[in-house]
Parts: sequence; structure tokens; C-alpha cells
Amino acid sequence: MADVQLMGLVNATLQAATLLFIAALGELITEKSGVLNLGVEGMISIGAVTGFITAINTENIFLAITMGIFSASLFASLHAFVTVVLKQDQTVSGLTLTILGLSLSSLLGKKYVGRKLVTKIDSIVDISEPDTLLEVLLNQSIIFYIAIVLMFTVTYILKYTLYGRRLEAVGEDSRAADSMGLKVNKTQFIATCVGGAFAGLSGVYLTLSYVPYWTDNMTSGRGWIALALVIFGGWKPYRTAIGALIFGLLEALVPRLQTYSFEISPYLLKITPYLITLFVLVILTIYKDGKTGSPGNIGKTFFRENR
Amino acid sequence: MNQIILETKQISKSFGKVQALNNIDFYLYKGKIHGLLGENGAGKTSLMNVLSGVYQPEKGSIYINGEKQVRLTPDASLNLGIGMVHQEFRLIEDFSIKDNLTLSKTNIYIKDFKKAYDKYSKIFSLSAESNSPVSELSVGEKQKIEIMKLIFSNSNIMLLDEPTAVLTPQETDQLKLSLDNLSQEDGKTIVLITHKLNEIKQFTEKIFVMKNGEMIAKDLKTKAVSHKTLVNLMVGEITSSKVNKDNPKGEVKLRIENILHKKTESDLNILEDVTLSIKSGEILGIAGVSGNGQVELANIISGIEQNFNGNIFINDIDVSIKGVRARKELNLSYVPENRLGVGLAPGVSVLDNSAIKEYSAASYGPHLLKNKLLEHLNLLIQEFSIKVPDPKAEVSTLSGGNMQKILMGRELISNPEVIIASQPTRGLDVRAVEAIHSLIIHQRDNGTAVMLFSEDLDELFKLSDRIIVLYEGKIIKEFDIDKASRQNVGLAMAGVHE
Amino acid sequence: MSRYILVKKASIHDLSTFYSFLIGLIISITVGSIILLIQDQDPLDIFSLMLKLSVGSIDSLSSSLNKAIPLILAGLGIAIMNTVKLWNIGAEGQMFLGAIIVNLVYINTDFGSPSLHIFVLLISGFVGGSICMLFPAITKVMFGVNEIITTLLTNYIIIGFTVYLINGPWKDLNSLNFPVAAYVGEEVFLPTVFGRLSIGFIICILCTFGTYYLIDKSVLGYEMRITGGSRMTAIYAGINAKQKTFIAMLIGGGFAGLAGAIELLGQTHRVSTGISQGFGYTAIIVAAITGMRPIGIFIVGSLFGVLTIGGSVIQTVGVSSYIADIIQATTLFGALIALFFFTYQIKEVKDG
Repeated sequence: MADVQLMGLVNATLQAATLLFIAALGELITEKSGVLNLGVEGMISIGAVTGFITAINTENIFLAITMGIFSASLFASLHAFVTVVLKQDQTVSGLTLTILGLSLSSLLGKKYVGRKLVTKIDSIVDISEPDTLLEVLLNQSIIFYIAIVLMFTVTYILKYTLYGRRLEAVGEDSRAADSMGLKVNKTQFIATCVGGAFAGLSGVYLTLSYVPYWTDNMTSGRGWIALALVIFGGWKPYRTAIGALIFGLLEALVPRLQTYSFEISPYLLKITPYLITLFVLVILTIYKDGKTGSPGNIGKTFFRENR
Repeated sequence: MNQIILETKQISKSFGKVQALNNIDFYLYKGKIHGLLGENGAGKTSLMNVLSGVYQPEKGSIYINGEKQVRLTPDASLNLGIGMVHQEFRLIEDFSIKDNLTLSKTNIYIKDFKKAYDKYSKIFSLSAESNSPVSELSVGEKQKIEIMKLIFSNSNIMLLDEPTAVLTPQETDQLKLSLDNLSQEDGKTIVLITHKLNEIKQFTEKIFVMKNGEMIAKDLKTKAVSHKTLVNLMVGEITSSKVNKDNPKGEVKLRIENILHKKTESDLNILEDVTLSIKSGEILGIAGVSGNGQVELANIISGIEQNFNGNIFINDIDVSIKGVRARKELNLSYVPENRLGVGLAPGVSVLDNSAIKEYSAASYGPHLLKNKLLEHLNLLIQEFSIKVPDPKAEVSTLSGGNMQKILMGRELISNPEVIIASQPTRGLDVRAVEAIHSLIIHQRDNGTAVMLFSEDLDELFKLSDRIIVLYEGKIIKEFDIDKASRQNVGLAMAGVHE
Repeated sequence: MSRYILVKKASIHDLSTFYSFLIGLIISITVGSIILLIQDQDPLDIFSLMLKLSVGSIDSLSSSLNKAIPLILAGLGIAIMNTVKLWNIGAEGQMFLGAIIVNLVYINTDFGSPSLHIFVLLISGFVGGSICMLFPAITKVMFGVNEIITTLLTNYIIIGFTVYLINGPWKDLNSLNFPVAAYVGEEVFLPTVFGRLSIGFIICILCTFGTYYLIDKSVLGYEMRITGGSRMTAIYAGINAKQKTFIAMLIGGGFAGLAGAIELLGQTHRVSTGISQGFGYTAIIVAAITGMRPIGIFIVGSLFGVLTIGGSVIQTVGVSSYIADIIQATTLFGALIALFFFTYQIKEVKDG
């Protein structure tokens, strides 16, 4: 009996972590190029609603996933346009992107609240109560495995390929990179759109697998957690994944703690993940004495002729 | 025959109301070392930035090997073989040497990096591992990497902006040998940008002179042209004043003893056992290559840096454990090397910046008396001939010279007892430099004790009564001005002492 | 063949922020109209209806201005924090904690005179907002922890705590399955003028002038400005940079807390999730659009209040209330795009 409970916890953890990790990984790529995109929450939302609407109307999951990724990426390009091309403030643009994204997706999704999906993203093997690790792993959807592949791929690209090193150079010191002949604007624009694509995938996973339905404010702050995870992970994919697992565990624990007979109000429990993230973030910043690994140029606008 | 490898016609570029370049015609001969001479602000760096693609000209055309270039961006420029070493290095500090050398798109040593690195390290006498981070290198070493970067990117035309500003005299000689080697053996075309006459003479074969954004002399033969001609071309009528060194000296105003300062994480001593004193009416020059503890020493004496051991006395009053306020009250003034960032607050208006020392006097309880601040600013403007078009505008909209004048004016108006001046004339044109120098001399004659940090040996020799050389945080040698020479000071700067 | 290059302008026109805002407004109304047209609605009809229902009568105008109060106050707090170059993303949470502290003080105190009681409660709201800022402020000043993330996460913690309170210890047993706290007594309802206009709006006007004075004419404002420009310059000026940063953050939080108090005592009359619905974030837009100018924040905040009421009443004809949010966000994007053209110039290159 305990095994099923434990495995149920692991199962839920992996799913929650997948959701958070994909969005965080996307933001990591964006930030590595020097762009801060606070619009993650909005982008996930756009991807989620677009994917859901496509799935309801076409019953084609593949198309739904593609639409979700594409729409979020397009949405991210608005931020890229305003901050990279028009050189406006990144913090303001990102926050507004979130507000626009949330309200736009609520507007679009109004008619679809409560609708039931005919097809959704299924598990590899459908197991209702997995009680071994293997069964838990098989019970994950393909998105989980995509996330793992993405983690290794992104790590490899950043560390060992010329593209990845150049991306990091742009984010670390845009002026030096520009002098080397690297295309700063193009790199930042693409990195922002890629980040959007990842957020879109996360959103699609949310409405077509994790939840799976659509209501207002479905993202419930996960985009902000993804942002915190990037810092938590020191801008390294592996560590970000660990952070996602920790947070996923906390999210999975909340509805389950009553079965472990804890006398805590479920409402207070819901706060604990945020408290812990806050705590860990502060400890990390103090411990690292400022050398958190953030890209040198993050948040700064690049204009070649600045004297 | 001398082949022209690069040519510009009628290049113009303006920044707001300032015309930085005005119809510039310029050309380079293949394989020769050229000099671009002009005082600070003449437009030399702007022209080089146009050639390397950083600035886009508003008018004019550029020809490389006879072919007209449509649009020159940094990567297009690199592809054409033009490489530039900027005055403020463009190296990625946290990345390794190897990364900095190989990430460029025109990198030619992809496969045989190790061989090339070993070869050129020898030529430039560089002894660092290729995977060590650039941040660990000294200033002179970083410059070598910058030049190596050009070689690795296959640049045939090398533009070097004020390369000797950060080198000791001995390193400068070494640089000349390396450049000669590159020009004669490898056929590289080199442009040396400088405002120093002796360097133009020492390094180059052909000279071009710029003034006020215009090219006023082209293709002069270095061997044939005289010092005097060049000076007249560069600055016109202004001649550098000679400083009277018969100044009377009085009591000791500043005394520091056994200063010890460590870097927080490591055990490295940034400053060790620094002891010195300055008398009233005396100028003590501190020589040294950048990065040997000058900034930290200045910050400690001024009170900004409180983390140190040792004692500091102003007029025999111990201020060692006290902060900036105590120094202010004892009338110590500080002109920091970091003009915009420490001395002046960026993003803040000229008016606010000018009031940094005076604002408590210009307040009535919690209320700020703005008209008093304006009065104070106008006083500074008049006393020091500063051009301030709009007091409410952000301070960085002023020219470099005017920013420095606001900074110095603000510090000098109170007729201080002690002045710490760090690189006070860096980047300023001759007129401004003269003005700053006379300000310093004027204060000296009023009885102020002056501590002058400068990388410019000419300036140090001109103004100082004594020269101290700082090397790796220690005072390695002290000279009386009549016993000092470029030779022995230069050796001390490089760490050589008997 | 002509080429074009991008050049930064020498000086920015003084009114560029204002003009950018107007252009942004035009763009957003256009976008809003397109959205309405797609939904088979007539933009002219809808917008005039929105106007009529939001400013057409004294009552509706009052409701609109009441809705503007939290936007203005939180916006002012954000502008104050901007002097030390920091962002306050936590206005949401600060409003809630302000309301919580008000309720706490209300439950535990008794004052003879209602005016005194209200006064004390409003102060408690301010204090509540400041308390909410304590953790981000201390960690920022002592360790340099990113205030964007700390204020943001604090939002979720406080809002979650509010949900706990109204479902637990403060649950109103009379409210039949609706999680809210009990009403506060009528004696501490905020008085109104002109019928419905809460005196909270008068407080807004006072705070606007107060903020303007603080930022522009006070010594503290000067010291905060220097600190925001460069910490080292502040240290050299003898200014305690850490202290000024701390003060700016606490005041910024306090304003948002005050907004929460006014919302509680003036509108909802009890602690609930209705204390704020995203106003903390919209306030950031308001502050940014006006270039952090107090008077501008007052005007734009009022305008956005009108928009929000317009958006909520338009639901009666089947238009989503989110149209207001979309218009607000698009206004900012439009303003940012317009600001680009005020800051940069596209020049044509002539051949030499």
C-alpha cells in the first residue's frame, strides 16, 4: 500500500516538474543571450489556450502542440521586437507581456471553459496506479521524455558547440561579442522566440495532459516559479532540473499531506513551495556572494553606437 | 610600389549636435605602419570605429582593395580583414583566453589552435594558459590577447587605439618590436592611434593628423616631419605651460601608515605596507601600471573603502576608523578615476551631481533649497568655465572635459586641505588638460597637499615634486623629481628594483 | 541606392512620455476595436456605452475614481522605489497584507471616536504594506538579492495566507460557503463625498502631492536619487545608501498597503480575495507609462480606473471584461513603440 502512495507521489512530482522545467529551460536560453523576459506566465498561458482550442476543434494532438508552440513563440516575438529592435526597457515590456498574455488568453478561452477534450496527450503506457518506479516512468507522457532530451541537448549545445558559446558570449558581454563580429540583435531575438516556444510547449502540456481542461488563470503563477528556477539553477540546465523536481515535489505533496496525517491547513500548505523557493533563493545569493552565474549583460539594452 | 589597401572618401558622422567627423579623406598603404595623430576629441577613435563597423557614417564611402563597401558592420568589417583593438578592451572577462580568441566568425585557427597559440605567445612573451579566464590577466597581458585576437581573426588591417596608454616604457618598446615584426614579416597594415608625439615618431612610417573632426594633414613622412610642425598641426596655438617647481612646502597635511588591504575572498594583498606623507604645497605623483592598487588606495584614503588596516592622518588628526563625513569635515577632496560611476552619478542631473558636497548646507530641515543649489552650480560654471547647456539634463550629456570640470570644480571650490586626484586628465583634449593642470597648480600654490595618480608619465613629470611607484600594492621606489627619469621610473613600474 | 542607419537623438523632447502615452492609447483603442469587430460588436457602440456607464453620472464617475485609488497609490509607491532604481512587483501582496493588518487591528482595538479609529486603521494598512516589504528590503540591502523575484514570490505567499485566513480563523460563518472574513463595523466604513466618491480619493490627491514633494523637493528624495544613480557616488557623498534604499522600499510598500486598507474600509468592507485583482501589476504599467511622474500617475491611474469600470459593466452586453486589461497592456506597448521614435532617428545615408 505504501508503495502505491510513494509512487503516486513520484508520479505527480515528475509531471509537475516537467511542466515547470520546460518553461524554465526556455527562459534560461533567453536569459543566456542577455534578455530578461518576465512574460513567461503570459506565454505559457497563450500556448495553453491555443493548444486547447486547436485540440477541441481539430482533435489533432500533434497540430495542437505545434500551434501552442508557435503561438507562444510569436507572442514572445512581441517582447523581442520591443526590447531588442526598439530598445525599450525589458522589465516593463516583460511584465506587460504577462498581463496581455493572461487577459488575451482569458478572452480567447472564454467559450472553451468547461469543454471536455476528446483526445489528449496520453501516457506512454496508461497505468492507473503505478507502484514501481518503472511503471511511473512508463506512465509519463512523451513530453516528459522530450524534456529530458531537451535538457541534455541544451546543455551540450551551450557547452560544446560554437552556437552555444557564441550565445553565451552575447549575453555575457554584448559589446565584446559585437566587436568579434557576432550578431547580437539577431541572437537575442531568436533566443527570446525560442524561450517562447518552450513556454508554449509547457502550456500545451498543462492543458492537454497535466490538468487537462481550460479555465481562467490556469497557470497560477507557474511562470513566475519558472523564472525563479532559472536563478535557482544558476543558469545551468541540470541544476534547473533539480530545482524543478524540488518544486514539483512540493506541489505534489500539498494534496497528499493529509494522508500523511499532518494537522496543517491545506491552505497554509499551498504556500510552502513559495516560501521554500524564496528561502533557497536568498541562501544561494548569500552563499554565492553575488556570483550567481547570471549572464553579465542580462536586462541591459544593447545599442552599438552607445558611447 | 606602395599599394593602397584602404581608402575613405568624405566620411561624415555626427552625434546629436556634435560633428565628430567632417568629410574625412583617409587612406592606408599595404604593409606599412601608419600613425593617426590628434589630441583627445579630434575624432581619431570615431574614424576607426567607422572603419571597424561600430559607427555608421551618415555620408561618404569606404573602399577596400579598390572595391566600394556598401554597408560596414562589425562582422562585415572583420570579414574584410579589418580588426581593431579598442582603448577600453573588448574582452569577455569571465571567458577563457581560448574562447576570446576563437569565438569570432573569422577565426582561422579552428583546428590548430594549440600550435598557433604557442607560436604567438612566444612572439608576444605571454605566459598564460589558454584556458585561464581573461579576468586573471594583467592589463598588459590583456592587451597582448587583444592583438592576438586580431591575428587569430585573420585581420590584415590592424587598428590600435592608444595601445601604449596602459604599458610601461619597457612594454612599449616590446610592442614596437612586435608591430615591426607583424608589418615586415606578415605584411600586416597597421594604424596606431595616439595623441603622443614621441610614439608617432618612434613607431610609424606615415602620419595623418586630425583636428576637430577634420583631416588636416595626410601622408606625412615620419622621418621628414619635425616635432614642431606636428604640434602646430595638432593643437594650433596652445603651448604646454611649464610648471614652476620652486613652490614652498609647509607642514605635513596627509600621512598614511602601513596600509594593508586584502581582497575579501582570497588572501591576496592588494595593498601592503603603504606608508607615505604629503606636505602642504607639495604634489606627490603616484606612478604605476593600472591594476597595482591605485584605485583601492585612493578609495581608502578618501573614505569610500573602509575595509583596511593601518592609519590615516589629516593634519595630524586620525581618521582611520572614521568615514567619508570625517574627511569632508577636514576638507579632503577626491577626484576619482571612475568619473561617471563614482565621482558623478549616472542617470542623475548635472545640478544634482554638482551639489554632492554642498547639499546639506543647501537644505532647510528636510526641504531642499533648489535655488541655493543653482547658485552653487552657477558659481562653479563661472569659476571653472564649464559649459552646461541645461542644468537639469543628465550629467552624461556633457562632454568629457566638462564632466571632469564639474567634478573637479565641485571638489576644489572649498579650497581643500588635501586633494586626491586619480587620472584627472584621462581622455581630455589639450585645452582641457591645460585647464585642469593649472587648477591643480593653483591649489598647490594655495597650500593644498596633492596626491596625483596618473598613468601618463608626462603629466607626472610635469606636475610632481616627488614620484612614488606602486607595484603589486607596494611602494617599490620613491624619486625626487630631479632624480627621476622615464628610464628608472619605467623600470620601477615593471617591478624592477635594485 | 539609399541606405538607412539608426541614430540616437541628441535630446529627448520633454513631453515625449506624454505624447507616447497618447499614441499608445490610440493604438490600443484601435486594437480593442479590431477585437470587438471580430466578435461582431460595434466598437463605437461599445466604447460609447463604456464611457456612458463609467463617467456618465456622478455615481459612475465616483465608482471609476474609486477603482483608480489602488492604481494611483501603488503607482506612487512604485515611483518612489524607482528613485533608487528598484522595481516593486509586490504591490499585490502588499495590498493584501495591508488589509490583513487593518482587520487584525480592528478586531483587537476599540476607539471611542470613529474618525480616530479609521485614522489608526489607515496607518495600520500603511504599516502592513511596509511589513510586507521587510523581507525583500532586508535581503536586498544586506545581500543584494534580486528584489523583482522576492517581491513577486511574496505576493503568492501573502495571497495564499489570505486565502488561509478567510477559510480558517477569520471565516465568516454567515457567508454560506463563500470564503470571506466578517464585515468590519459600519462605524469604520470610509466616509464618502459627492455620494459615492470615497475619501480615499482625497487621500490619493494628498499622496500625489506628497510624493511629488518627496521626489522633487526634499533632501531625502535627493539622497535617494544619488543612491539610485550610483551606490559608490552616494557613499562618497556621505549618504547611507543602504538606509535610503531601505526607506524607499518601505515607503513604496506602505503606499500599496494603504491602498489595501482603503479598499477594505471603503469598498469591500471585509477581507476577501476581492481586495485586489491584479491592480498591483497594472500599477506598474501606470507608473511606467508616465515615466514615474506622480502627477502623471494620478491622471493615468484615474483613466485606467475609468477603463476598468467600463470593462466590467460591458459584460452586461456580452463583451469580456478582459478587454479593459488588453487595452491597458496594449497602451503600454504602443507607448513603448512610440517612445522608440522619440528616442531614435532613422537617417538616410548620402554617398560621398
